[in-house]
Amino acid sequence: MRTRGKMALLAVVSVLALLAGVAVGSVSIPPGDILSILASRLFGAALPEDVGAVYPAMVMDMRLPRVLLAFLTGAALAVSGTVMQSVLQNPLASPFGLGVSSGAGMGAAIVIVTGLAAGRLRMLVLPAVSLAFGLGTVLLVIWAAGRIDRAMSNITVVLVGMVASLFFNAVMSFLATLSPVYAQRINLWQLGSFSMREWSSVWVLLPVTAAGIVYFMRYSREMDVMTFGEEQARVMGVDMRRCKGRLIAAVAVLTGTAVSFVGVIGFVDLIAPHVVRRFFGASHRRVLPASALFGGAFMVACDLAARTLTPPREIPIGTITALLGAPFFLYIYFTGRRRGGP
Amino acid sequence: MMLRADHVTSGYGDGPVVRDVSFAVAEGERLCILGPNGCGKTTLLRALAGLLPYGGSVSVLGGEAKALSRRELSRRVALMSQLAPVYFAYTVYETVALGRYAHGGRGMLERDREDDRRAVRESLERTGLWACRDRLVTQLSGGQLQRVFLARTFAQDPAVILLDEPTNHLDLKYQVELTEGLRTWAAQGSRCVVGVFHDINLALAFAGRVLLMDEGSVKALVPAAELDPALLSQVYGMDVAGYMRAALERWR
Repeated sequence: MRTRGKMALLAVVSVLALLAGVAVGSVSIPPGDILSILASRLFGAALPEDVGAVYPAMVMDMRLPRVLLAFLTGAALAVSGTVMQSVLQNPLASPFGLGVSSGAGMGAAIVIVTGLAAGRLRMLVLPAVSLAFGLGTVLLVIWAAGRIDRAMSNITVVLVGMVASLFFNAVMSFLATLSPVYAQRINLWQLGSFSMREWSSVWVLLPVTAAGIVYFMRYSREMDVMTFGEEQARVMGVDMRRCKGRLIAAVAVLTGTAVSFVGVIGFVDLIAPHVVRRFFGASHRRVLPASALFGGAFMVACDLAARTLTPPREIPIGTITALLGAPFFLYIYFTGRRRGGP
Repeated sequence: MMLRADHVTSGYGDGPVVRDVSFAVAEGERLCILGPNGCGKTTLLRALAGLLPYGGSVSVLGGEAKALSRRELSRRVALMSQLAPVYFAYTVYETVALGRYAHGGRGMLERDREDDRRAVRESLERTGLWACRDRLVTQLSGGQLQRVFLARTFAQDPAVILLDEPTNHLDLKYQVELTEGLRTWAAQGSRCVVGVFHDINLALAFAGRVLLMDEGSVKALVPAAELDPALLSQVYGMDVAGYMRAALERWR
């Protein structure tokens, strides 16, 4: 199948995932009713009389913002993972694996515990602190990895990232123990959740994610060149210092913003680029948009599983992405290696 | 002159590794840099490629390398290094096409231009890779992969190709094939090659002239056929010619 066909198919799958995410739950809403409700809200069409009375509020106030937030988070993390792997020429790198997500999460936890996030500034302070900590973490990890191993081999970067990730998670657990009032909120943060989210989160994450994807697309050729190594990239004409710095900063902003709304969610940033490269090849012009769609759809599916597998209890989203993601990643990685791909 | 180095000094911060090196390379020429490990061959190449800061002057096609933008320098100078692993499954065509980066625009919607397509096709044909342009680079053997990187270097269409031990880890067949490809390339148009090879025999077979280095300085700059075996032995700290002759005896 040609690339356009595959991309169209992925887009259709994404829309179906969104629709399923809104339709399935404690109360099932027929997809036809969902479309009628959306048409009525968006275009002012008359709502058919047979649409359930509680459905419009359920769709518009609860499920749709949650599903859209899940999609945007998945897209943001998947695209961040793609960029990180290319910039560090390391197919095992990801913002989660490098501790960016945990660093951002720790920043958020500090804000929660210190009460800085109270009041009207909450929408701004939390994302700002999260992304500052995310950026600080990635710089710290890269600096430390460079000190340990001048060649910055894949394994060193991944190991240092893992150490950072474990450390920041420990700090979050420590903060949760110190302040029992916030313990539940911090614990929820550590494994991520889309529950109790409002439209306001969507309205912040939507432009940030869209702008991030457009920004990365501008650098798709540079990233293609970078995957062959930093020195080669320079020799081929890429201004590495400028490109690398900007791209890593943008990843920290995107990941930090996503984490500040939903908490730390792993694996999607690692697996999405691998899955997508298997079907779309390695070129960033295709991998970036495809990662966004796949990551979004995957996250919506994970969230669906999180809230429907053990009703009325909800499984933390990070647990689902890890449970599904780890074996899925191994399957993709090893079958890919047999075929010659990473 | 295609490439001229005047009193070039360079290193990594703890004092210079290369000291006061001067030479010039003319159109169509193949210059090989010889010398023992640690004598500054690679450092000199990296300075010429604009990867290391240097004192003195490096001029390429009349322009001072320091004054050129990264892209502008890459349109004039390419560096081919020893084989490195690839982690991402690009096709052979895509990989070679990346060599056109320095010539291209920046727009995300920009399509490959006609001259880019032509350059990529020519490079693939020159290296015998056109038939396998859709294969993934992750599926290739070391020799085939290095051939792809040679094609990518050609696609970059530089005036000067710098070689940093590109034949390391390659079978003899691929070593000969690679140097022959470069020899043919250098003979056409305004081009030259400056190379470092680990294998002295390969270097002497490939080079027109030899720059012999020792402890960061130039010991000799002579036509390859006129290299003094005694000087070579002195620099390498062993009887190089005697060793080579003994090796040859085994083939009689």
